[in-house]
Amino acid sequence: MMKKSIVWMLVLLMLVCLMSACGGGSNTDDVEKTEESGSSETAEEADSDVTEITLFNNKVEIDEALQQYAETYEELTGVKVNITTYGGGGAIDSFDMLKTMAQSGELPDIFVVAGPTHYEQFKEYILDLSNEEWVQYTDQSYYGESGEVVGFPVAIEGYALGYNARILEEAGVDPATLTNFEAIKTAFEDIDAQKEELGLDCVISMAASPELGWVTGEQNFNVYLSGGLARDDSSVIDATLAGEVDEERLRQYADYVELLFQYANRDNLTVITYDAQLNDFMLEKTAFIHQGNWIDPALKEAGIDFDMGYVPQAFTTTDTNGIFVSAPTWYVVNNQSPAVETAKKFLNDLALTPEGQDFMVNLAGMVPAFTNVELSPEGKLSNDVMRWNSEAETYAWNQYKLPGGFAQNTLAPIYEQFAAGSIDKETFIQSIADAIKNIG
Amino acid sequence: MRKRKDNLLFTAFLFPALFSLIMVIGIPFLLGIYYSFTNWNGVSSDVSFVGFANYLAIFQKDPKFLHAFLITIIYALLNVLVVNVVAVGLALLVTQHLRLTNLYRAAFFAPNLIGGLVLGYIWQFIYNNVISSFSFMPQMLAKPGTSLVAIVITGTWQYAGYIMMIYVAAIQGVPDSLIEAAAIDGATFGQRFRHILFPLIAQSFTICMFLSLTSSFKQFDVNVSLTNGGPAATFMGESIHFTELMALNIYNTAFSYNKMGEGQAKAIIYFLLLLVTSVTQVYFNKKREVEV
Repeated sequence: MMKKSIVWMLVLLMLVCLMSACGGGSNTDDVEKTEESGSSETAEEADSDVTEITLFNNKVEIDEALQQYAETYEELTGVKVNITTYGGGGAIDSFDMLKTMAQSGELPDIFVVAGPTHYEQFKEYILDLSNEEWVQYTDQSYYGESGEVVGFPVAIEGYALGYNARILEEAGVDPATLTNFEAIKTAFEDIDAQKEELGLDCVISMAASPELGWVTGEQNFNVYLSGGLARDDSSVIDATLAGEVDEERLRQYADYVELLFQYANRDNLTVITYDAQLNDFMLEKTAFIHQGNWIDPALKEAGIDFDMGYVPQAFTTTDTNGIFVSAPTWYVVNNQSPAVETAKKFLNDLALTPEGQDFMVNLAGMVPAFTNVELSPEGKLSNDVMRWNSEAETYAWNQYKLPGGFAQNTLAPIYEQFAAGSIDKETFIQSIADAIKNIG
Repeated sequence: MRKRKDNLLFTAFLFPALFSLIMVIGIPFLLGIYYSFTNWNGVSSDVSFVGFANYLAIFQKDPKFLHAFLITIIYALLNVLVVNVVAVGLALLVTQHLRLTNLYRAAFFAPNLIGGLVLGYIWQFIYNNVISSFSFMPQMLAKPGTSLVAIVITGTWQYAGYIMMIYVAAIQGVPDSLIEAAAIDGATFGQRFRHILFPLIAQSFTICMFLSLTSSFKQFDVNVSLTNGGPAATFMGESIHFTELMALNIYNTAFSYNKMGEGQAKAIIYFLLLLVTSVTQVYFNKKREVEV
C-alpha cells in the first residue's frame, strides 16, 4: 500500500486535471475545426482592436480557396480568420452543426444561412447589415423579416442539366433545341440508342440515394416549385406550403422525373455517392449531369476541360428558357459576437478589394453576385451560368422555403422508391401529393 | 480522527468520476425530460410548455417512429443472435490448443477498435462496389431486406471480437478435468458443449446478451455511415427510410425537422424501452445460471 502522502498527491493531481478540463472546456470544439494556424480564442478586447474572427463555411469545394484567402487577408490587414468547413453530404449536415454551435454558445462571427427556414431559426442572432457598402452592388442580398438587409450573397449559382458538348455533337443533338419536354425526351432516346458508339454507360448522371436526398428532394423538386415561373412568382410554393397541389403541373413534373430516372444508371441510382456521380460525368461515361456549377472546382482539380454548358430543366410541353439561379447561401454576421466591426469589414473587403474579388472568382471559381466585379470565373459551367443570367430568364430557388426536414426526410424517400421501381408513377404522384397535403 | 481523513480521501477519489457522471449524464437527462414537455426547436430562446402533446403526437401521427421502433427490435433480435453465435464459435475455436491463439484473439478483437463511422463507410464501399461486382450478388444496400442484413453483418464484424473475449475468459474458467473426464467417458463434442460447457458459462451469457442487446438498440454510427436510413419503403401509407433505426430517427427529428421537444420525448421513450428490455433480460438469465 502506498504512502498516504503519495496517495494525496495523486488525488490532488486528479482534481487539478478535472478543473483544467472544465475550464478549458469551451475550447474543445477547436479539435474539430479545420484550421490552418494553431489554437484560437475568440477576441476579448474592444472591437477595433479585434484581430481574430471565426467564419463558418458550408461549401466544401471552396475550403482550400478560403484558407488561402485567409492567409492573404491576414498579411494585408493583420486580422486572422479561422475557417470551419462542414458539408458536402454524408452523415452530418452543416446546418445541424450550426445548431449545435448555437446551443453551446459557440456560434461563429460569420456564418451562413440558406433561406427562409434557416433564417427563421437563427434570426435572433443575425445582425442588420443595411448600411454596408457592398449592398448597393448586388440585388441578391438576403432580406430579413422587416425588410432590412441581413445576408451577403456568397456567390451566384445555377443548376439545370449540365451537358458534355463533345458527346452531344457526336450524337447529333443540338443543345439549343432542348427547350421543352418532348425535345429532351427525343434527345435522351437518341443518345441512349447510340450509347455503344459514344462509349457511354448511360445518358444522365443522376442520384437518388439517401445521402443525396438534397438532389432529388430539394433541387429537383424545385423544378415543380419554380420551373418556368417568373422570379417573384411564388404561386406554386405558396400553394404547396398551404397544402394544395397543382395536379396538372405535378403530373407533367412526374413524367420528367420518370424520364430522368429511366436514363440514369439503374444499378446504382439509389446508392450512388456525390463523388461517384461526378466521376461518371468527368470520365465522359454520361452525357448529362444533374448538378449545378458548384462542381466547377472539382472539375478543375481533376483537370477536366471538355466543353460543357447548361440545358434548361424543361419539364413542360411549352418552351422553357431559363435555369435556376440564386445565391445558394448568404453570409450573416452574429450580432452577439464581440468582433462585429471586424466581421463587417471582412465582408466589405470581400466584395470591394481586388484580393477579395480575386478570391471569389479565381480562387473559388464562383460567379460573383456583385456588379462591380469585373473578373469572370474560368469554369465552363460557371461561365454558362453567367451567360444564362444575363441573356435569358432565371428562376428562383424556392426549395428553401420548404419547412425543415421536409425535402430530405419526407420527399427524398418517395423519390428513392420511384427510382428503385418499387412504386409506379401513379403512386409517386399520389405520395408527393399526400406529403404536400400533410405539410407542416 | 483517522476515519475522518479516510472518508475525505474516499470522497476525493470518487469526486472526479461522480462529477463527470452528473454533468455529462445526470443533468442533460433531467433537462431532456424538461424539454420533452416543451416545443423547443433547438435554437431559439422562446420555449413554451405543451404538456404531453409531444408524446401523443409520436404515437398518433408518426409512422416513421413506429417503423423505427419495430425495425430496431427486429434488428436487435437478429444482431444478438448472430453476434452471440459467432462469438461463441470464435471463442471455442480460439481456446483449442493451437499455436497462435493469442494472435488470433488479437486479430478477431481488432475490428472493435475501429470507430463506427469509419467502419460504416468502408463497408458501404465494400457492399456497393466490391460485392456487387460479383454478378450473382444483388446491390445489398438498395433493397430493404438485404440492407438490414448488411447492417447486421457489419455490426457483427465490429462487435463479435469483443463478445468473444468475454466467452474466452469464461471458457478458460472451466476446469479442464471436467471436459477430459467427459471425453474419456465417450461424450462427443456436441454433448460436451451442451451438457458441461454451456451451463458453466451461462453467467457470461447473461453479460454478453445484455451487452449485445443494449449495443444493438443503441446502434447509430454504423447506421448513419452505412445506410443513412437506407432504401425507402412504404409503411402505413407513408414513404419511410427502411433501415432508420431509433437513434437515427430521434436525431433526424431533433436536428433535421427542428423539433427538439419531440425528439426529446422520443428519447425518453427510447430510454424506457431500453431500461425495461435490459432489466427483463438480466432477470430471466440470472435465474438460469449455475454455479460451479
